[in-house]
Amino acid sequence: MRNRFSLIMVVAVLSTSPKTFAQTFDPHDLGGIWSRNSQGYGGGGTCRGCGDRGFNNDVPPMTPWGQARFEANKPSYGRALGSSGAAEHSEEAIGRRRAVPPGQGNDIVIACNPSGLPRMLLYPDPIEFVFDKSGDKVIQTFQWTHQWRTIYTDGRKLPEDPDVPRWYGYSVGKWEGNTFVVDSFGFDDRTWVDHFGYPHSDKMRLQERYRRVDHDTLELSMTIDDPKTYTKPWVSQTKKFKLLKKEEISYDGWYAMLEEICAPVDEVDNFLNRIVKPAGGVDK
Amino acid sequence: MANRIDARLSSVLALTVAFFLLSLQTVAHHGTNISYDHAHPLTVKATVTEFVFKNPHAQIYFDVKDEKGNIEHWNGELTNPSNLMHAGWTKKRSEQELPPGTPLTITLAPAKAGTKVGVVLKIINEKGEQVLLGRDQQVQ
Repeated sequence: MRNRFSLIMVVAVLSTSPKTFAQTFDPHDLGGIWSRNSQGYGGGGTCRGCGDRGFNNDVPPMTPWGQARFEANKPSYGRALGSSGAAEHSEEAIGRRRAVPPGQGNDIVIACNPSGLPRMLLYPDPIEFVFDKSGDKVIQTFQWTHQWRTIYTDGRKLPEDPDVPRWYGYSVGKWEGNTFVVDSFGFDDRTWVDHFGYPHSDKMRLQERYRRVDHDTLELSMTIDDPKTYTKPWVSQTKKFKLLKKEEISYDGWYAMLEEICAPVDEVDNFLNRIVKPAGGVDK
Repeated sequence: MANRIDARLSSVLALTVAFFLLSLQTVAHHGTNISYDHAHPLTVKATVTEFVFKNPHAQIYFDVKDEKGNIEHWNGELTNPSNLMHAGWTKKRSEQELPPGTPLTITLAPAKAGTKVGVVLKIINEKGEQVLLGRDQQVQ
């Protein structure tokens, strides 16, 4: 009788454990709107729950070409150039300790130019995955700047020497077990790897590896192979995304990402010229 | 403007805001945070001249009287519309609250460059209520 009671108790405990109630998911279904913010919605560039906003603090040595490009870039994120904080945090890569006011910098994004990849994937605003039913392509849409890219899954090969580089490159995807692997090439070299102003060349190859580890969590790790800029491949930390619930990404009952178009009439004529430049002591 | 700034209020707010910002290290859409002197916030009596609810950040433009009665024109940077909307500050509600001529008490971190631009840390209306989001209340 006592043994029977114990068995019933074990079954009862197991049946009420959190694991039992974990939502089931298909690891090959990455559809939905995801946020880098571990606390839910993350937006507007201000996100304490997003982890490292850069590609990785551990930067491989650059080639002379890469170093020259790095030094020419003047970012506005990280610790202020010449500040006591910049001097005190030598554990941070130098790219994170050289920020200048954006009115004095040369980040092309501020004038509504595309962020490109992988920078867009590092931005905290929501990202949506849409898997086309044909199985031939995957669309990734980004709330920030209302941008999108196509990842072809129809078996095509990447162009070896594309005539025209693209802001978001050429991308193909495939499944390796439960990991969705995206390889990209043919990038416009005017974009930065991340907002700290790390450069890349038009020879950069980017690999993204996505894995849905549970119903609500997507992990992404990336590798940059760009021998023109870096002396060895650069591997990112694992970036985590959280699946947003409908109520977290609905406005007036409208379930969708916001239309954060970078419209020059708003962002350049208005914000850049009336706020950013005068705040940096720079005339229009 | 000096006689318009409540020195005691400024001191308390300066310490509070400095503590918050040291702990947060928040960043904005365009890295604009670095343009401002968060260690020396100002609190001013302001009159709204224009409010803009647009990407990438909302903006508030306002007038402040200096000690001689002259009008200074200030440009204030706010958080982005998506943060405001998530907190219930929709475009309509925000604009209804901030028509031109509205008197406010605004605390801001001024531009290091010395220009009349600042990132707005807090807005209080005539009823003593906070309007929009304080810097520490933005969606994280």
